[in-house]
Amino acid sequence: MTSAKDLRRWWPLAPAALVYLIAFALPASFFFILSFWSVRAMSIRRDFTVSNYVETWEKYADVIAATLLIAAETAVVTTVIAFAFAYLIRFRAGRLGLPLLFVTLLTLFGGYLVKIYAWKAILGKEGVLNSALLALALIEEPLTIFIYNSGAVVATLTHFLLPLAVLPIYGSLRGVEDDLIEAARDLGAARRQAFRDIVLPLCLPGLLTAFTLSFLIAAGDYVTPRFVGGTGTAMIGDFIEQQFSLRFDWPMGSAMSFSTFAASAVLIVAAGLVLRWSLRP
Amino acid sequence: MTMRVSAAIWAIFGAAVVLFMLTPMVLLVLFSFGRNALTAFPMGGLTLDWYRKLLANDTFWGAAENSAIIAACVAVISTVIGTMAALLLSRMPERVSGPLLLQLRAPVMLPSLFVGVALMSFLRLVLDVELGLPTVILGHLVITQPFVILIVHARMVGFDHALVESARDLGASPLQAFFTVTLPIVRATIVGAALIAVAVSLDDFIITFFTIGSGNTIPTLVWSMVRTSLDPSINASATILIALTMGMTVLALHFSRYRG
Repeated sequence: MTSAKDLRRWWPLAPAALVYLIAFALPASFFFILSFWSVRAMSIRRDFTVSNYVETWEKYADVIAATLLIAAETAVVTTVIAFAFAYLIRFRAGRLGLPLLFVTLLTLFGGYLVKIYAWKAILGKEGVLNSALLALALIEEPLTIFIYNSGAVVATLTHFLLPLAVLPIYGSLRGVEDDLIEAARDLGAARRQAFRDIVLPLCLPGLLTAFTLSFLIAAGDYVTPRFVGGTGTAMIGDFIEQQFSLRFDWPMGSAMSFSTFAASAVLIVAAGLVLRWSLRP
Repeated sequence: MTMRVSAAIWAIFGAAVVLFMLTPMVLLVLFSFGRNALTAFPMGGLTLDWYRKLLANDTFWGAAENSAIIAACVAVISTVIGTMAALLLSRMPERVSGPLLLQLRAPVMLPSLFVGVALMSFLRLVLDVELGLPTVILGHLVITQPFVILIVHARMVGFDHALVESARDLGASPLQAFFTVTLPIVRATIVGAALIAVAVSLDDFIITFFTIGSGNTIPTLVWSMVRTSLDPSINASATILIALTMGMTVLALHFSRYRG
């Protein structure tokens, strides 16, 4: 039913749609098919097997569980701080709101790798924090408790996800009219009640976007665990990356990716339902 | 009294978050000028040695050249195709444009690792393409065009389309109407969007790593420096990367007059 008229109308979207198809949609679909292929003697065989998923479950179930735990911690911490910061910008900071938003945007587009490296340099045994504490004579030996643990991983992930999470929440909060809150207050709602019954529900889409984004990106990151994570904080992204850069078992890497993705999706939907339920009128 | 306490708590919280966001980068910039080869106190006086060492290194210039080529191509292409898409979407009703915008945004909501390895597998196993700068550019387009589309779309939502229609009624072709009416009004926004595309492209490490084959960009160079050695020029190259990406962002906010 695509008529010439439709074609004339939609053509400006064609180049962007083409890039989306060739560089994302088709690769992602093919990547799913790849997870059912196998590797024999270093070459890929185009057959159909679920053995990659079975192997993922047998070998990596605990790594995936640990990854999801870190992703959940990161997503909760990031979303809470991002909400409070966006709320500050929108309702409390007055004229300072704009500079705060500026800082957020400034750190959004710059230095993914640099940020992670910075945390390694700060928290390391011979790093900034230890050397500062030594110089101030607060400690006598460098401490090793700062780095190579899940706290360091969550802090680093939160650091680069925070601006990404602030923006959608701020976008939602901008749509909350001051009049609406004032009207509720005039009708006798306490400040807390107006916050609970008006601000939070209207902000729900932004909160869900921020949570989903932080969870997925944290669950799929491999640079952070490699720089500041330790033996106890192995994350699945690290193992997935190795399938492509070292082991050349791409089908296995694909099955690991989709397993993690499916498990993340279940948790994100569950978290969304809990949030929605807790904000019901 | 309680009002003042709550204002103080908000001020402390805001300052803490800003410090948290900025301090790591500020420290790297600071230490890039320090004589101490370790990123640690005491810094041991100021020096430009690490920059001199870095700038005398051919690998760095090769990486910088690749980064520049990729960023320039990505900026031009994603700005043109993103603006075209955004102009069309802004004339659609919300129920049509909303889902499409969400769809186009998917690549930036997923881990770059997924986007990168999926694209590499597809290029190698299905299209049988050699990896190189063109494949990096393709990979970057899919993560920069969502930003261009969102930024230009946001500007165009409040745009008065009657202006374009009157130009068309007076006999202007669609292209004429675009260049004489639409473009002058949204030019600043488009320039801002292009600069954001440059920042995103310059900053990308993961997709580049999987789609470049051999060769380096500035981020992949930083990656290999961090992994292989304790090369003190790391801080200098990190600072250059910060300066480039944040510089682009500042310019972008300036051009689009920063309306949030």
